[in-house]
Amino acid sequence: MFGFVQALFDGVLFGATYALIGIGFTLVFGVMRKINMAYAASSIGGAYIGLIALSLMPQVPAIAVFALAVLAGGALGCFVYVTCFHFIPLSNPRATLMSTIGMTLLIEEVIVHATNGAPRNYPAMFDDLMLEAAGFSFRGDLLLIFALSCVSMGILLVVLYRTSLGLATRAVSQQAVAAQLCGVRVGQVNALTFVIAGLLGGLAGALIGASVGTLSPLLVLPLTVKGLIVTVIGGLGSIPGAIIAGLAVGGFENVLQQWRGVTERDLYVMLLLFAFLVFRPGGIFAPKIGRD
Amino acid sequence: MDFVFGLLQIIGVHSLIGLSAYVVLLTGQITLAQAGFVAVGAYVAAMLTVLVGWPLMPALAVAALVAAFVAMTVGFPALRVKGLMLVIATLAFGEAVRLFFFNFDYQIAKGDVRVGPLGGEGFRQIRYFPENGWSTLEVMLFVWMFVALAIAVLWWIDRSRFGAVLRAVGEDELAAQASGINLTAVKVAAMTIGGGLAGLAGGLYAHYTTHIEHLSFNISLAIFAVAYPILGGTRSVFGTILAVVFVQGLLIEGLRFLGDWRNLLFGALIVLVMNVRPDGLLSLDAWRWAKKKTGAKHGAA
Repeated sequence: MFGFVQALFDGVLFGATYALIGIGFTLVFGVMRKINMAYAASSIGGAYIGLIALSLMPQVPAIAVFALAVLAGGALGCFVYVTCFHFIPLSNPRATLMSTIGMTLLIEEVIVHATNGAPRNYPAMFDDLMLEAAGFSFRGDLLLIFALSCVSMGILLVVLYRTSLGLATRAVSQQAVAAQLCGVRVGQVNALTFVIAGLLGGLAGALIGASVGTLSPLLVLPLTVKGLIVTVIGGLGSIPGAIIAGLAVGGFENVLQQWRGVTERDLYVMLLLFAFLVFRPGGIFAPKIGRD
Repeated sequence: MDFVFGLLQIIGVHSLIGLSAYVVLLTGQITLAQAGFVAVGAYVAAMLTVLVGWPLMPALAVAALVAAFVAMTVGFPALRVKGLMLVIATLAFGEAVRLFFFNFDYQIAKGDVRVGPLGGEGFRQIRYFPENGWSTLEVMLFVWMFVALAIAVLWWIDRSRFGAVLRAVGEDELAAQASGINLTAVKVAAMTIGGGLAGLAGGLYAHYTTHIEHLSFNISLAIFAVAYPILGGTRSVFGTILAVVFVQGLLIEGLRFLGDWRNLLFGALIVLVMNVRPDGLLSLDAWRWAKKKTGAKHGAA
């Protein structure tokens, strides 16, 4: 029992990265009603760019890798918007789904090419630190991940609810046509949403690299699936939903990994998703019906 | 020559997989579950021929039926959601099936070797074709017999009332429902047909590769399955076949001289095609154009 509670804590802490990925999917869905399948790939891509840039300049501290990963994630987000969304008519959901899947394959292959397919070590921070409380121990790097995720989610919420850009984003998300009539540049807001989501994604990629200890192109597809599951369980378009679902899925999978082993772990995550689809198809925070 | 026949086998099986996604796509649903149905078909057919010792034809039939049944049972809960939610739901189902076979052990002793699926190592020694002395050419023709049959049936469905109903649901669900079409029944029917085709493709795949493992049925296969009809356009079954030949023949085999760079080009080409022709290679305007060309040649039809 004690072990399970410990596993639950570890999982919830790691789940913060799932929450970040889920927020990225949900943000883009919120404003464009589209899924950006390339999101997890560009997140890992951002982390890789930070890592490769660091390996060219060996004197840089580890924190610079994180900063660079965040910036590269934002740049990749903008790139994905231009190549996969900007020129494709909004009324065609299949085309953007396919183009972002193509982009996922492309980013994955570029990573394989740039690194010869070998996983790369990622610098960890505070990995020798252990906090002990009430008999439970907390890994320092996981705590750092959790703290950084919470801070960035806080910044995101401030941007969304306290700035004019956030106001425009929420307006487009509620009613794109009405927002346009009020003078909001929808295209610009869409592109900026991709950049914001990309910044978060770069951070998530860096944090995943730091906690796992290595980066590998093999992370891309599982992370895409996990991110999508988190998004659905939280409710498509709901940011608080993505956060809660991310933490919950992280805890759930780690407990089941402890109980049933690593090969069966993801099977139960899928079953959890199916349970949600059957009993609560809209997710935890189902968006109000009839917005479109 | 065996290389060409082998390539044609791959194109044949992928055509069946692409057509299975095409049927579902006609109703406007994008499904990423096809890899799961292919896996079910592959494991069922292979277990029947290797472990039970059935001949191939009944094994394939049972594989297709089991996959169709699984597709039907999945269809009911999954089709409660639509659009992007369905994409994610079916993606999760496909992964769940793959993970199930990753953990699935069922081996029996046959002579001095143990045969059957063994978790992560997969299912080896599906030796029906070599044991019965089939040449590569014969296997290829056998595969294409099913492809031709599937094309013929789907062509016929397209021209029947049921095909019109499928497309009506795909074009506008609200209008279709207002015309008295039972949306759930139509979608589940399309899902079932698609599942059956995917199961058949899986059974054939298992027997010509002789070794299946869970990784053969990962997300990439599901993406390929739905990419064919989207790239080819849903105007006609031949769009899907054209896309399979384009992807498997031209992109994967034809660009082999590029070495590792081929895979890079693959993703970039999908992005490019979707930007230039968002409705697919063989979308409506391409058909009008072709009709105009042939019409000019033969006079007004």
